[in-house]
Amino acid sequence: MSKHFKFLTALAFGVAAAGLVAAGPAHAKVEGDTIIIGSAISFTGKYSTNGIHASNGYDLGVKRINEMGGVKVGGKMYKLKIKYYDDESTPLRTAQLAERLIKQDGIKFILGPYSSATTKAMAPITEKYKIPMVEAEGASRSLFTQGYKYLFAVLSTSEQYLASSIALAAEMAKKAGKKPSDVRVAMAFENDPFSLDVRAGVIDDIKKFGMKIVIDDKLPRDLADMSATLTKVKALKPDLLVISGHSKGAATAARQIKELKIDVPMIAITHCEAAKIVKKFGAATNDFLCPTQWAETLSYKGKYFGTAAEYDKLFKATYDGYRNVPYQAAQASAAVLVWKDAFERANSFDTEKLRQALSETNMKTFYGDIRFAPGGNNIAKPMVLRQIQDGKFNVVAPSKWASHKVNWPRKVPGM
Amino acid sequence: MNTRLRRTLPFAGLVFAGIAAPFLFPDYTFQFTVLWVMILFALTWDILGGQMGYNSLGNIAFFGVGMYICAVVQIGLYYDVAQYTASYGAVKVEFTADQYFTGLAVGLIAAGLGAMVFSVILGWVVFGLRGPYFAIGTLGVALSAGELTGAWDYVGGGGGIALPIYPGEPDDRSLFFYVLSFTLTIILFFLLRWIYLGRFGLAANAIRDDEEKAEGMGIHTMRYKTVGWAIAAFFLGISGALFGNMIGFIEPLEVAFPTVTFGLFMVVMCLLGGRGTLWGPVIGATLFHTFKEVTWIYLLGWQWVALGALIVVSVVFFQQGIVGWVKEKWPEKFGIAVDDRALAETDPDLDEAPSQRLRRQTEAAQ
Repeated sequence: MSKHFKFLTALAFGVAAAGLVAAGPAHAKVEGDTIIIGSAISFTGKYSTNGIHASNGYDLGVKRINEMGGVKVGGKMYKLKIKYYDDESTPLRTAQLAERLIKQDGIKFILGPYSSATTKAMAPITEKYKIPMVEAEGASRSLFTQGYKYLFAVLSTSEQYLASSIALAAEMAKKAGKKPSDVRVAMAFENDPFSLDVRAGVIDDIKKFGMKIVIDDKLPRDLADMSATLTKVKALKPDLLVISGHSKGAATAARQIKELKIDVPMIAITHCEAAKIVKKFGAATNDFLCPTQWAETLSYKGKYFGTAAEYDKLFKATYDGYRNVPYQAAQASAAVLVWKDAFERANSFDTEKLRQALSETNMKTFYGDIRFAPGGNNIAKPMVLRQIQDGKFNVVAPSKWASHKVNWPRKVPGM
Repeated sequence: MNTRLRRTLPFAGLVFAGIAAPFLFPDYTFQFTVLWVMILFALTWDILGGQMGYNSLGNIAFFGVGMYICAVVQIGLYYDVAQYTASYGAVKVEFTADQYFTGLAVGLIAAGLGAMVFSVILGWVVFGLRGPYFAIGTLGVALSAGELTGAWDYVGGGGGIALPIYPGEPDDRSLFFYVLSFTLTIILFFLLRWIYLGRFGLAANAIRDDEEKAEGMGIHTMRYKTVGWAIAAFFLGISGALFGNMIGFIEPLEVAFPTVTFGLFMVVMCLLGGRGTLWGPVIGATLFHTFKEVTWIYLLGWQWVALGALIVVSVVFFQQGIVGWVKEKWPEKFGIAVDDRALAETDPDLDEAPSQRLRRQTEAAQ
């Protein structure tokens, strides 16, 4: 025991204190003519693909608003800016970063993280500090039954994602002269809050039609291999295969469905666009059904981006490598628009006034209508189901929005 | 300065730093709380990994077990757990302040004891393994614990559990968890200091150096290993329970059993600071946590690369860790006597190669 220990301990703690303090130059919520919005999003880890889509969407929203002059509050024009942190795709980190954004950076306005799990970790903290959060990527129903007052989500909840594919399968069965209750369903879901919620919605509908579940698997933790499930699918020949596992799950599913030559009359997968499966696996993805929060072919229109199609064009011109604009990006941009709208209607930076303004949101945007239920979820916009037809995503359900007829059973060239 | 004072000063400094931190930097309370938990991780890992030479990669299992036991107790005392965790039933439940604190107190104790019992049962199975087999065996336990919890619907499966929310002000909440984490870690630290100085420390090091010989000397090695692991599990279990409540939302794979993050960090922190020493884990954890926080903010995009580089540098250049390196550099400061003159008399040429020396000595003997 000696001076060196003392020195080392002092050094370690000194470095720790200095490091932590230096790490957080205190940002005010509004600096000069800039409004700073905070976001902890997945740049690394299993949700990083979608985390990056979402941050691209946020950035495009900010860019567009700033180009159009900014946000007018109290007669003065402000620019928007986002302060990002990487949550590593784990709720463990989200909770720490929420504290960091609010306590050290002094952020008063939050844009949500990617995924339901991380949003579930974020919401209790923003709620405690009474900091409003507009989120675009946490769809789990249970987020909106907790009575959160400071949580607002622009997207539809997750139990609606694949439910319409069940109705579609029932319709097709009737057309083929079978009973809907004869339909045999194979399911594979990631073991996370989002996919489990999707699964719950699917099971509700399966029960409604009296269909039979022949496979009910959980995807492995790293989502890199689902051949075990697909081998069973090959043997049992179900009428419908449903898969949900964010982008990584969708990419794995598409790859292995191609490799193992899985031939099922109907396949529905979430996150097709975000996983860029058409670009990666080409014709093998033909006739996949993909639920989406938004489609560029829908007739939505708003003040900032014009129509859905114009947003699509602008996004592709701004970011390289997108054949289809994932809805994760579109809804992220929409969340930024909601913030701008709220700032201007509240005409203040007071979080209570902003909360009130947010709860009264009633907007028409390129992403669809936005109106929040008391629980915080958007109830003004439907989920639609698209089918990959010759490399294009065409809306096939619900019939109100459908632009194309569904191809059934699915046909894959060369199989 | 007299020796006694000099010896107690670092300990006093540690306690003082812990008490002062949240008052000096109140906005950083949450980060400091995580820091104390990191120190606890490193200290508990070192009991087996450093002092006994049993490299466990699965200690994080106790953290997760504690987290889940506490959550189930907190909810189960007042509500039906299965209904609370149903993946889409999602009942909205209010806990009163009384219910919250009673639940947490009972939950923390249950978490510690539950993890301890788990470690004893587990130890009985895995302590037959040595070296890399022990490491892989324990890693398997941690991974499968996460998967099993994820498949267990009663505790919400992969959907996780939203824990009761602290009833007071958010700033009080940070301080509350800080005080608990700090106290827990300091108790562990002084407990370890006390047992390392006694018979336990000697027996542990004997097991590390040569387990068969230690057994031959009459040391009941199994008992020491089990006790060591049980201490680690008890504290890890409580820290898991605290951490779960701090995060507010727990789920099996990423939060409760984060094998590839926290599970490995505890090993890396010990290696960085110096395994098998009392202060090594403390210093290693402090530097590691700071480094991680800073790079995660300033090197966004490169943070994992920087972390990897730190691990490589510490493993290649500081194999004994920081404390080990300092000990070698200034051994006299640690009470290790190096008497050059005495050495020179027995062994005049310290620079000669061992083979040469051997030859010279054999020649002299002949």
